[in-house]
Amino acid sequence: MFGWVKGKTVEVSVRKRSTKFRNTMVAYSFILPNLIGFFIFTFLPIVFALILSFCEWNAGNSDIKFVGLSNYITMFTNDKSFPIALKNTLYYTAVTVPLTLMVSLGLAIIMNKPIKGKEFFRSCFFFPYIASLVAVAVVWMALFNPDKGPVNQILIKLGVSVPPRWAASQTWAMPTIIGLTVWKNMGYYMIVYLAGLQGVPRELYEAAQIDGAGKWKQFTNVIWPCITPTTFFVLMMLIISTFKSYDIMYITTQGGPGEATKVLAYHIYNSAFVSLKFGYASAVAMVLMTMVVAISIMEFKAEKKFTDYL
Amino acid sequence: MKSKIVRRLLSIVAVAGLMVGCGGKGENSAKNSTQQDSGNGAVTLKIALWDYSNTEYFKNIFNSFSEKYPNIKCEAVEFSSDEFDTSILTQMSAKTDFDIVFNKDIPTINALISQGHIMELDNFMEQDKDFDKRNYSGLIEQLTMDNKTYGVPFRKDNTLLFYNKDLFDKAGVAYPKDGMSMKEYEDLAEKMTSGEGNDKVYGAHTHTWTSNVSQYARRVEEFNPIDSSTYEALIPYYNTILDMQSKQFTQDYGSLKTSNIHYSGVFYNQQAAMLEIGTWYINMLCENADFNWGVCSLPNDKGEANDKAVGGVTPVSIGKYSKNPEVAWEFIKYICGEEGAKILAQNGILPGFGGEAVNNIFDALPESHKGVPENLSRYIDLDTYVIEFPMSIKAKEIDTIINEEHSAIMTGTETPEEGIKHMTERVNELK
Repeated sequence: MFGWVKGKTVEVSVRKRSTKFRNTMVAYSFILPNLIGFFIFTFLPIVFALILSFCEWNAGNSDIKFVGLSNYITMFTNDKSFPIALKNTLYYTAVTVPLTLMVSLGLAIIMNKPIKGKEFFRSCFFFPYIASLVAVAVVWMALFNPDKGPVNQILIKLGVSVPPRWAASQTWAMPTIIGLTVWKNMGYYMIVYLAGLQGVPRELYEAAQIDGAGKWKQFTNVIWPCITPTTFFVLMMLIISTFKSYDIMYITTQGGPGEATKVLAYHIYNSAFVSLKFGYASAVAMVLMTMVVAISIMEFKAEKKFTDYL
Repeated sequence: MKSKIVRRLLSIVAVAGLMVGCGGKGENSAKNSTQQDSGNGAVTLKIALWDYSNTEYFKNIFNSFSEKYPNIKCEAVEFSSDEFDTSILTQMSAKTDFDIVFNKDIPTINALISQGHIMELDNFMEQDKDFDKRNYSGLIEQLTMDNKTYGVPFRKDNTLLFYNKDLFDKAGVAYPKDGMSMKEYEDLAEKMTSGEGNDKVYGAHTHTWTSNVSQYARRVEEFNPIDSSTYEALIPYYNTILDMQSKQFTQDYGSLKTSNIHYSGVFYNQQAAMLEIGTWYINMLCENADFNWGVCSLPNDKGEANDKAVGGVTPVSIGKYSKNPEVAWEFIKYICGEEGAKILAQNGILPGFGGEAVNNIFDALPESHKGVPENLSRYIDLDTYVIEFPMSIKAKEIDTIINEEHSAIMTGTETPEEGIKHMTERVNELK
């Protein structure tokens, strides 16, 4: 009798385990195609690039030659373009990220209010994001044309005798590109922030109002803490995209004037496809990736710390 | 805890994944197909090129070739013109079996040679009695690297000074002439500059390419892009061009660059009296200009009149992974030979192959097109042809540096002296 009961228990437990195993397998089967794609098209190229960064290779019929740390040493000692590109990347990221964040949050707060025609304005702000980068860049460059552009015409009318030469000036080329990047991306992050804002419980606003909190207090004590996870998401996406950005520079200034807008990703492209130094380009890519991964890890840690209350 | 670590690791890897592919620039899709003998001895040549769909002469030459050789079919694989260099290098790195590869310029062919993606043609040339190097104005000799030849000139373009005769007549100013000094050129531009705002006519137009400055010095062989000791020769030319720009005899470089203004429209619309550009513009003017125009040789400070030409070459090569190299050579011989040259010339394009037949076609253009000057052959059939960029394994890298410093000089970011100094230092540092 006991043996039968024991047998039944074992059987049930085995059946439970096999169901669990089957469910796990089903789950894996769903993510498997994506994992295979990730492994082939993302993970393997990273490993290949890592190996290549210690080699010399021109992507042609010549052999891949192991050169040890030579590419990394060249990068930090002999390549004058690398520190310029690194500085430009940091400048571009350091200004673009907070600016986009502030503009998109500001827009989201305004668009979250019951104003007339807000759907229209939302679409207007979102439009540069869905428009082709080439088209957006052409419009932006026309607006900021140093001689005939409307921006400088207005500045001259306002009494600025020598307006900036924007993309045609070493000093102003990067701010012009930063402006273009913010304009292009603000709509997307505005939508992300809108979703975050709509998740803030109404009772919290009401409670704050009852406690006599003004608009600024409501923002700092209610809205900002509640949308911190959204801010971290926006921050991470922005940092990653600005660090690896090069398409905007390629379309608008080709890294110029001189090397004023040459960023690391553009330097990687030039080293690989113009100079045909794929090993060296991989080494620069590894440095860029390490920077992004390090910043991402710090962000993960910071997010955990700052969102403990949620 | 373990699953947390795994999750954390996965998210880091995912972030890393986002970093991959920053070089994923829009490579135009090429029409895929295989070249096969179709059983009746027919061969299909797979040809990598650009601008096929919007250029008539390619189709005309391919059709004419297929008529002569019915068993050989031509399959054009077209890439975007702007991205051709990157596209062809990527395709050849994947060992794509193109039989024919058109090279946009010397830096492109140099890159393909350095990667071992194109064949040496010396054996074909030596064994083929129908092929004569002398028909190419010494260009074949300039297309060699380590005494080996990798391309035959399909097209060549020499840079000339085009001018609008109607504007000069209206202003009562004598036409530009061969052998002008740079000072005379600037004075002429000053005399021809008139009007304000939308009615302004600039005395000259300097397009944004580096060659629009460097070719003045290159034609008289004061400047050689692969020899950094010659870079200082560019300084006086930059000074003149910048002076013309600051005095508004030409449009501002920065403005042209940021607006992507094409030189062609400026000259068609009679907004500039003179334009320094390549001979491909002859065809464009035949099709679009409704005024009388003329050409003369480039101004310079060495007193060189019209005995030398400077410009670029479009070499054609055989792909290393071609399955039919002999057939490919027949194709090259045809399109770069007299028959192909005639078709190009009839389309107003200057072929690499020179000779009376080509000259006659250009000289006959005034009969079929209004406004075209007489005796164009004087400017296209010259004994000495200086290639704007000589063959060098470092050509692409040098070209990039020169272009970057050119943009810095032309925007006033650097003085010509500073720009040339940086250019020299950076080129000298290339390994």
